[in-house]
Parts: sequence; C-alpha cells; structure tokens
Amino acid sequence: MSRTSIIALLIFGAILGYFLSFGADTTRKFQASIYQLLAPFFTTGSGLQKQITSVRTGLKSLDELEKENGALRVDNRQLRATNSALRDVEHEVNRLRHALNYRERSVFKLIPAEIVTRDASTWWHTVTINRGKEDHIETDMPVVTDEGLVGKTTTVSNTISVVLLVTDENCKVAASIEGSREQGIISGERVSGGLAPLLDLNFLTKQANLQPGQKAYTSGVGGVFPSGLFIGAVKSFKVRELDGQAKLSPAVDLSHLEDVFVVTGRK
Amino acid sequence: MIFFFVLLVLLVIAQISEFFIPPLDWMYHAHIYIAPVLVFYGAMTLPFPLMLAMALFAGVLLDALTVQVIGSKVEISLGSSILIYAVLAGIMHGLRPLFIRGRWEVHCVLTGICTSAIILAQYLMITFRRGTFFFTREVWWQIGGPGLMAMLMAPVIFWILNWMARVTRYPYLPERTFE
Repeated sequence: MSRTSIIALLIFGAILGYFLSFGADTTRKFQASIYQLLAPFFTTGSGLQKQITSVRTGLKSLDELEKENGALRVDNRQLRATNSALRDVEHEVNRLRHALNYRERSVFKLIPAEIVTRDASTWWHTVTINRGKEDHIETDMPVVTDEGLVGKTTTVSNTISVVLLVTDENCKVAASIEGSREQGIISGERVSGGLAPLLDLNFLTKQANLQPGQKAYTSGVGGVFPSGLFIGAVKSFKVRELDGQAKLSPAVDLSHLEDVFVVTGRK
Repeated sequence: MIFFFVLLVLLVIAQISEFFIPPLDWMYHAHIYIAPVLVFYGAMTLPFPLMLAMALFAGVLLDALTVQVIGSKVEISLGSSILIYAVLAGIMHGLRPLFIRGRWEVHCVLTGICTSAIILAQYLMITFRRGTFFFTREVWWQIGGPGLMAMLMAPVIFWILNWMARVTRYPYLPERTFE
C-alpha cells in the first residue's frame, strides 16, 4: 500500500470517527443543513414530477377518447383536453377549499404544507414538506389532514421539514378506542408489502374484544399528539399471551397525500 | 480529476432522484437505488484515496437524507453508511483489474449484491435497535429487489459513465499496468 493510500485511510478514519461521534442533536442539525442545502432541488423536482404526472394523465384521456369516438376523434380530442385541464383546476380548487374549510373549523392552529418528496429509503416511512423553521415549525409537531393523523415532524430546516409517518414503526402514538375505555400504543409495521400499510395497536387488555370499524383516536398521553385526532379504524383484534393487539387501517391514505397541516397549538 | 467531480455531481443527482422514484408495488414495495451503482463504478475506476473520498461523500449523503432521529435517539449513527460503503467499495476496488480488462459481468452482479448488502446492513442495525428479529417474504424482497434492479441497471449506467470518462479524458484504463 502506497504512502498516499495510508494517509488517505488515516484521514478517512478520522472523519468517520468524527461523524460516528455525533449525538442526536448534532445529527439533527447536520441533517437539517443538508436538507436546507438541497431544498431548491427537492422543490424543483417536486414541480417537475407534478408536470410529468399531469401530461401522462392527459395522454391517457386521449387514448380513451380515440377508442370511444372514432368519427368525432378530432373534435373530441379538443374537448377532452379542455375538460381535462378544467378538471385539474376544479380538483385543485376543491382540494384547497376543502383544506381551507378544515383549517377554519379546526380547534387547532394549523400551518398548511405541501408534500415535496416521499420516502426514498426502505426502512423509514417519511415525507418531506415545504415548511420549516421560517414558518415556526419545530421538531415533534403533529401533522394532520382533515381525515386524520399523518405523523410528526422530525428534522426541521429553515424551509423544509421531514415528517415521520404514523405507519413507521418508530412513530408511537398513545390511542384510545371510541366506545370503550381501552387505551394502547399505536405504531406502524417495520415492513409493509403493499400500498396500504396497517397499524398495530398494542398493550390492550385481553378482554378488549374490539370490533372491526371501531375508531381509534389520539389520547393525548405523551405530550406530542393532542387528544382527539382520528388515527384509524380497527380491522381485526387478537389476544396474545400478555395483551390484546388490534390491526388498524390508517385514517389517511398516505400513498396519495398532497397537502397536510402542521399542528402548532390550540386556537 | 474532472471525472471524479462529475461522479460526485451525478451522485447528488441520483440521491435526489431516488426521492421521486416511486417504490415498485409488484416487488413488495422495493425501492430503486441508483447512488450505490455510481459509488461502485467509482470504486472500480478511481484510485484508492478518491474511492475513499467518494464512499465518504455517498455515505454522508445517504445518512443525512434517510436516517431518522427520534427524540433523543439516533437509530443508525451518522457515518455508519460511510463505513458500509467503504468496505463494499474496497471489495469492488480489489476487482479493478478484471473491470479494466473489460469483464464487466462480475461487477454488474457484485453491484447488485453490494446494493442489497447496504440495505441488509441497515435492516440488521435497526433490528438490533428495535428488537424482534424477523425475515418475512416482504423483508427479503425489499432487500433483494433493489439489488436486482441495480444489477439490471448497472450495465447501462456503467456504459454511460464509461463514455463520460472518455469524454473527460479520464485515464482510468491503464491496461499496461495490469498486463
């Protein structure tokens, strides 16, 4: 091994040791600075992705049109394209109106945010939103939609934040079940093979006997999530050796999230 | 040297692109990883010190963008990916002579295996932290799937990078050294 390689190896070892010595706070700060540095690329990428998806949807409708209307193909193409564009606008208006309504009637102070990127890693379920410290977002703030709980913020940079989804095994939420005194801890599954991952509600009593469809809400224990946020509905219940466990379907369809709200407090 | 910086820029682009590539539903939600393919190509074409620098850069980027800090707990220490990348890139670097002779097939297969090895290492680390060790079909696919995809992408990416190396006049094919 040459002298250059040995020196390189020593420098590499020193830098590696430096990084490995990072604690939680330093890691979070470092991650926030990297996210901040790459934020323009993420937002540009997100915009590009939306445009590509929009073009793809337009092409699909043209295909359908061709099959359905042979003779009036040209006219119908124009009409379908116009309709498609209007539908996009209508969808956008409805979505924003819906969000605005929820924000107004909610008992919480909400900051609206848009999803910029979805999880790129295999073992963590996260999304990135276009709000950060500049919008008074902090670590461990609940993230919701009008349908229910989405997750909580973890790494927060100036203009961008990472949200740990409720379907992640590390996102633990104290929950209570409607119509019963049962309380437990909800967490996601480490590995989910499908688009609709389930949640585990653990530490229930063996006698809980939860029925499919019963709703689980945040109980407010733990301090991160305020009480009363809809988490999901019971799908099945089983008795284990020491406790009862229920499987829940998340209240929010996390695979198609577009807009969310960060809860900054109560009104 | 220009080629090294080109690789670094491509690495950043690949890492960002991974955020916008949806997981493959038909492969049990397996993700597509492009960055490791670039790192392993760098391992075979760059000299040892630059290979280490690239592993360092890729590891920091991967950890900074994926590892989660929950409360006061860091699940996987920042820097662990640097170590994993360096070890695997070191192995690939050892097979450099074969690559330079134009025998790419071994490296394409190894790129896939090493990509899966990164994800497996991450899984083992989080399992160690969280407890409850299990290997279901989904876990295997989520570990093996990205490796399989990397294996399939590798020849194309290697070919493009090879072309870029020629364009930037990177002298990484010193056949005389090995013959």
